[in-house]
Amino acid sequence: MARQKAQAPPSTNLQPRTLILDNGADTIKGGFSSHQDQDNTSSADQCHIIPNSISHSTRDRRTYIASQLSTCLDFGELAIRHPVENGYIVNWESQKAIWEYEFFDDGAKARGLWCEPRGTNLILTEQSSAPIAVQRQADEMVMEEFGFGGYARVVGATLSAFASSPFDGAALEAGVPAECMLVIDAGYSHTTVTPLLHGKVLQSACRRLDIGGKTLTNQLKDLISTRQFELQKEDWMANQIKEDVCFVSQDFDSDLERVWRGGMKDRRKIDHSIVVDYVLPDYEEIKRGFARPHDPSSAARKRQLGIGMPREDLVVIANERFSVPELLFTPSDIGMQSEGLVGTILQSQNPLPVGLWQASLANVLVVGGTSKLPGFVERLESELRSRLSDDIVLRVAHADDPIKHAWTGGQRLAQDETALKQVIVTREEYLENGDGWMRRKFLGKSGG
Amino acid sequence: MALRFRTPHIEELPTAQTKQAPGFAWVTVPSAVEKPAADLSNKKRGTRFAAQGQTDAQKEAHSVRQQEKINARIRELNSDNARAGGVVVPKKEDGSAAGKGKTPNTRKILSSMKHFSHYLDDEVAEFGLTGKVDGMDRLTEGGLLPAASVAGAAQRASKTPLARRLQQDQSTGGSPRPATPSAVPPAATPTDDQGEVIDGNAPFPSQAEIDALLNAPPLLYSAARSAAPPVSAPPPRVFCEICGYWGRVRCLKCGARTCSVDCETIHVADRCLKFYA
Repeated sequence: MARQKAQAPPSTNLQPRTLILDNGADTIKGGFSSHQDQDNTSSADQCHIIPNSISHSTRDRRTYIASQLSTCLDFGELAIRHPVENGYIVNWESQKAIWEYEFFDDGAKARGLWCEPRGTNLILTEQSSAPIAVQRQADEMVMEEFGFGGYARVVGATLSAFASSPFDGAALEAGVPAECMLVIDAGYSHTTVTPLLHGKVLQSACRRLDIGGKTLTNQLKDLISTRQFELQKEDWMANQIKEDVCFVSQDFDSDLERVWRGGMKDRRKIDHSIVVDYVLPDYEEIKRGFARPHDPSSAARKRQLGIGMPREDLVVIANERFSVPELLFTPSDIGMQSEGLVGTILQSQNPLPVGLWQASLANVLVVGGTSKLPGFVERLESELRSRLSDDIVLRVAHADDPIKHAWTGGQRLAQDETALKQVIVTREEYLENGDGWMRRKFLGKSGG
Repeated sequence: MALRFRTPHIEELPTAQTKQAPGFAWVTVPSAVEKPAADLSNKKRGTRFAAQGQTDAQKEAHSVRQQEKINARIRELNSDNARAGGVVVPKKEDGSAAGKGKTPNTRKILSSMKHFSHYLDDEVAEFGLTGKVDGMDRLTEGGLLPAASVAGAAQRASKTPLARRLQQDQSTGGSPRPATPSAVPPAATPTDDQGEVIDGNAPFPSQAEIDALLNAPPLLYSAARSAAPPVSAPPPRVFCEICGYWGRVRCLKCGARTCSVDCETIHVADRCLKFYA
């Protein structure tokens, strides 16, 4: 450490195990890693995906904390409360309850996620450009309330630089970051563009598009509610519909033409390969909604009314399938004064010197749950390619597991003791130097 | 003698207010144009917002109101369901005091009911007053600009009427406006569609430059937002509010867009807001 004191410096001995929490708005990706393991394997199996929410069902009159949601049988009218807003932990009361249930209570032992905070390091992710009050609260809670033995608060995108690179296929050594990378995180609250150099954030070039999975779900909910079926209270159902049927169109104009039934004088034949019938779950007979190709015949109408067979609630989804994800690429469709994702990427390159552009654009990594929409990466690559000049090489890669990718990077980082020592602040160091010193260290200011 | 009912002439004067509050407001009308009650010279349909008679100030006030409505809708799209606030965190069975927080600070944090928007407002206010957040620098759009010139304007749309703003701009040489893209010249010319100015073979920057980039403080939350498209970009697309196709037809009464006569019939029957006048 650069700051040498007259007396012996505080202990920099790391705790043996590290808990890596990718604390997202929709889910927490959590699991353990250790730098004392002799086998340096990177395995995503140890990453558990935990819904980061507390939900209450008025029908069952039960409250579900985090992974208790997997025991829920009736998702109807589920009120879901998220402690994380816009990528930052804002409501600590519920976040503490979730963490305690998942990691510190006795029930966690059965799931293999139990740990004693004093004997564990914590790597906690946040988004860049956090308001300092929010960062202070997180630091206070981790060190004072939970009392972890070691702590590192990192920007989530930087962890992706430590995971195995999908570009050259060669697995990186543990703790060695990729040299240059442009991470696009299509998350739940928003989509961020973060350029990285040696695993560190190029702050002036970070950009954020305020459209995320939550925006798309709400937009789909509004469209279906105004056009066909009231879904305003059904967040969970709308989320499932979005994941089941939505896709990103490669050619928006022609897809829109294909599903228009035409004007009065201009009757068109709807292309039924895009139109989909979605059967809504009622959580009594039908536990999970599903989609099937559209059936325009009158037999289908009879089935909907329940003549002769059990009733089902049917929603016909046509252009909503691709016009909702189109918001990511054209936010002006709902009037938002932002450029689309491709424009945001080009904006992020502007403050950087020209010599860095080629390096970043040759290593574009797409992560995040919303990037799992079919056609997302192809559309991003083709649109970006069309707006760049020909002598720039563009390589866009989609992470193998877009949700767990940052976590696997954290796992690799935690397997190397030297790299871990550079980021982690031990409890003794914190007590000695104070929280201001710790905040500056997390920013990369003091010493190392 | 036939009774002829003439609708009274109603003209909305522009104000800088964007909230629908009862009462009245004093308004400066820069050019008081005497508009005749029944203008028969222009019979073109859909001239509700016709250029004749509307001053710049009126057009701008109307668009400010529209933009506020749009912004409210976007905030709603990006927020959690209102019922989520009513979900109560279940108490632990043993009811120990550990649930309340071990130190006074953590007790305060655990009982705080703030949302992210509150923290954001606090940060904006602090940056506006002192130019730093919590004693540390933050980047704004063009680098470390002095707080006064950027913070206030960067957060809210200007409420000064257009005429006075133009006057100000001429005298002070321009002040940063929120919706326009970054006015500060970037390090290199931007990537444009022709791509002529990008050189794929430019030299990698020096170590000193890279260190400067890496040691820069983080951006303000509002400065990290994706900026508006340039003025040369095509206008935003409009869709039919019934079926989702292109919105080619505009309702004469309320201005809502539909795609064809079929959808317009449905709109007039169910959804048009102006059904009395």
